[in-house]
Amino acid sequence: MSGPDWRGLVRARLDRITDDPAHDEDIVEELAQHLVQRYAEYLDRGQDQRAAVRNALGELDDTDGLAAALRSAAPRGPVAPQPPIVGGAPSMWNDLGQDIRYGARILLRSRGFASAAVLTLALGIGATTAIFSVVNAVLLRPVPFTGLDRLTVVWQTDRNTGTVREPSSLPDFLDVKERSRQFDGFGGFDASERTLTPLEGEPSRLPVLLVTHDLIPLFGVRPILGRVFTAEEDVPGGPELALISERLWEQQFQRAQDVVGRTIRLNDVETEIIGVLPADSDFGIMQILRSAAYARGFADRDLRSRVDVWISLRGDTRVLVRDTHPLLVAGRLAPSATVSTAQAEMTTIMADLEAQYPSNDARGVFVEAMGDVVFSSVRGPLWILLAAVGLVLLIACVNVANLLLARGTTRLREVAVRAAMGAPLRRLVRQFAAENLVLALASAALGVVFAAVALRGLVALAPADIPRVTEVRIDGVVLALAAAVALMTGLVFGIVPALQARRLDVQGALKAEESRGSTAGRERGTLRSILVVSEVALAVVLVIGAGLLIKSAWRLSHVDAGFLAASVLKAEVQLPSSRYRSRSDQFPNFVSVHRFNDELLRRLAGLPGVEAAAVVGNHPVDPGFQNSWQVVGREEEARTWPEIAIRRVGPTYFETVRLTVSTGRSFSDTDGPLAPTVSIINETTARRFFPGQDPVGQEIRFWGVNRRIVGVVRDEKILGLSREAPPAVYVPFAQAPSNNGSETFLVRSSAPLATIATSLRAAVRELDPQLAVFGIQPLTQTVAESVARERFVMLLLVSFAGVAVVLAAIGIHGVLSYAVVQRRHELGIRMALGAPAVRVTGLVLRQGALLTAVGLVIGLAGALALTRVLTTQLYGVSATDLTAFAAVVPLLGIVALVATWLPARQAVRTDPLEAMRDG
Amino acid sequence: MKKGSAELLILSVIENGQRHGYEIARQIELRSRGAISFHVASLYPMLYRLEARGLIEGRWVEKAGQRRRRYYRLTTNGHVTLAAQRSLWREFFVGLNRVAGLRNA
Repeated sequence: MSGPDWRGLVRARLDRITDDPAHDEDIVEELAQHLVQRYAEYLDRGQDQRAAVRNALGELDDTDGLAAALRSAAPRGPVAPQPPIVGGAPSMWNDLGQDIRYGARILLRSRGFASAAVLTLALGIGATTAIFSVVNAVLLRPVPFTGLDRLTVVWQTDRNTGTVREPSSLPDFLDVKERSRQFDGFGGFDASERTLTPLEGEPSRLPVLLVTHDLIPLFGVRPILGRVFTAEEDVPGGPELALISERLWEQQFQRAQDVVGRTIRLNDVETEIIGVLPADSDFGIMQILRSAAYARGFADRDLRSRVDVWISLRGDTRVLVRDTHPLLVAGRLAPSATVSTAQAEMTTIMADLEAQYPSNDARGVFVEAMGDVVFSSVRGPLWILLAAVGLVLLIACVNVANLLLARGTTRLREVAVRAAMGAPLRRLVRQFAAENLVLALASAALGVVFAAVALRGLVALAPADIPRVTEVRIDGVVLALAAAVALMTGLVFGIVPALQARRLDVQGALKAEESRGSTAGRERGTLRSILVVSEVALAVVLVIGAGLLIKSAWRLSHVDAGFLAASVLKAEVQLPSSRYRSRSDQFPNFVSVHRFNDELLRRLAGLPGVEAAAVVGNHPVDPGFQNSWQVVGREEEARTWPEIAIRRVGPTYFETVRLTVSTGRSFSDTDGPLAPTVSIINETTARRFFPGQDPVGQEIRFWGVNRRIVGVVRDEKILGLSREAPPAVYVPFAQAPSNNGSETFLVRSSAPLATIATSLRAAVRELDPQLAVFGIQPLTQTVAESVARERFVMLLLVSFAGVAVVLAAIGIHGVLSYAVVQRRHELGIRMALGAPAVRVTGLVLRQGALLTAVGLVIGLAGALALTRVLTTQLYGVSATDLTAFAAVVPLLGIVALVATWLPARQAVRTDPLEAMRDG
Repeated sequence: MKKGSAELLILSVIENGQRHGYEIARQIELRSRGAISFHVASLYPMLYRLEARGLIEGRWVEKAGQRRRRYYRLTTNGHVTLAAQRSLWREFFVGLNRVAGLRNA
């Protein structure tokens, strides 16, 4: 019936009608349909096909004239498709569906605009969604413990050292538990590790929590299988029982339902499993341990440890005496109590204990809400990041608003005509809203994809001390928020052009299309300039924030740590006491331990490329433990001295980490278990406790042993790179007690550390196939992990600032390009009158410079007010650091110059004749 | 044809309902009994011009099972303009008649 390809025939005769291919398509379609019917009509009248085709085509007449006539009649610029009419009674939903379909079609028609807007918004939404996902999972989601707001951590304090978060002694814990009325209950735990020897496969180290029987019920945690410990089992000499984590249950027992009653081999001891605890039962444990002044157990080793085994503490007050502080204490407040009433009561109790027992001298109490302990270190950085990413989203919105305004101008005529024809404002607004809804939803969808990708990187990069960081994912709440943000953005910035256009009268709008410099045009120009200025200002704030953090990170990386981590490999082992005896009556001559160490070190030293190898108690950024101490002859004075960090090091330690001995001598092989006991102090100790004296030759005393000082070494930043070195004393490893058999080996080598790691594992396996080597990594990585939070916040803020700068540049470019197009006529006349190109370029550059300068000034002022929130994240840099503030000026200046240069070039290339003819 | 007569014709045939381009051309041919005919080359530029002036409104209409078609209908402005044009043309005809005695020719 339809005969030939009418569209093709029409298209062949009308090559190009308007500037918009999509619009051309519509015209061709309409004409073709006409010809189809004409053709049918001619056939009806009895014409043969060829005649019918010829006559129908004849209607196109002079095709050149037709194209020109159509072009002059068709509206300039892209014409929006009209909202379709659908049969049947119009309902609101019907209309909405139409509006959305229509909106989608409009966006497909202007792909350039749509893709720019969607990409920009998606970037903003993606980044915001990713960060919010972290905030949501970490801070906002319900915690697995019942009544977290009633849970507290009961710390001990030490007035001598000024430390406020110390663990408790077992006797203190028992006394407090009996005397307190402000608490419903208490529980205590001690972080430890055990070597798990499975029936098959390599042995591994597991984080283990030694708990009092009341701890797990105190937290409100219920086992998935089996039961928890009873009070009867929690006594010295009680049975070897364990609760295992859901993870271990899965990994070792494939979730076997009959796991209760079976055994696992921990540190060579068969231990009966009495139950399985749900996956998040170790909630908050890492943060409590990390907050503790010492006794942090596995939290110092691997920041991402998850507790796999819970063992009954079975505390013996004859072993865990009152001046030993291994126990972290949690308490649940009684219904009537508050943290402050509990603090008051505990202060009284601790004062009584202090009066009663000499070893409680200077010890007090600090009751802290558990929620604060768990979240305090991350709350600040996370909210800062959320605020920063919010700024990025804001900039993205500003850019889209800019795009929409520019588009609003080209669509002004459409809106004006439709308004004049009686389209109600409601309808127009809804139309624009629908169009922007489509835009927003597309952005949100793409944004979620971006977020998912970003989140993976984020979680991998995230500092491990963020609670629940492994549980971060995009969930319903986050999705809803992303959609809401997108919707708001779309609605707010989308409707503005509709309202703006509506304000104008038809005549003015139609004329504005033709004449430049109309009031409406200028108004819009001003609005867009304001948007660009605010965009630049926001970017300035972010760039300065990032700059401060970069400088802080640079300071941290250049801090003199005292030791040299480069080219050093770290590895850890734990010698089980069943085979490596360290009986106190033999102290410190633990033959089997020393034999193992000496033999392993001998083998390590023989490896190619190895310069030095040492055994230590703790690696250089592990704070280790501290103890009270005295200088022989100054016992009275020493009562108020703070505790000193005790470093157990092999004689080759100083050489291995290149720690300089400033006076006296280093340790040597002759400082063995049976030789006279010696020690080396750090410079801080020498300065604070031996002012104006030579400490070398004096004796210090702790652990019941006098140790002659033989040397002074430089300070090592053992509390972390951002903190000052505390007083520290080094003792030969061979003359120190075994800390439960835990040892660290450090190897300095010019050979690749991966090779050394392999050789080290092999050497340990040869010496003792049942030993697990763990924590094996370059020491530089250990150091880097100790500043992971700072680095994380910095990296994120830097990438946000980068995105902000790019978006601001796009904004400047967009506004100026548009201005150049608008001023084509004027620029054309100027050039025709002989204005040099330089002059015309200058005009555009000046406009760009003005926008940038105003944005810079506002941004600098804003940054001055806002960067204060970063203070706690900065090391060695003030929040108003001059260089960071000064550096932003040339940086944004150059970016703005580049963004301005392109439109300026375009202005010069304007052909004066053409520009004036178009005008 | 007098300037503006084509405009009057088009506005008139869509006065009582929307029609697509071919229908408009066909209606004019039928009502004038073949005396007046519009070709594509003259009809569509005229339609677009009328649309740009806000007198008529073209919409793509989709009906189930059919290709979308562009329908034109009068806008409020169009109705007003048509009424004004009618009275103008009426006066013109009366004058023409008086001068040239067309009616009895």
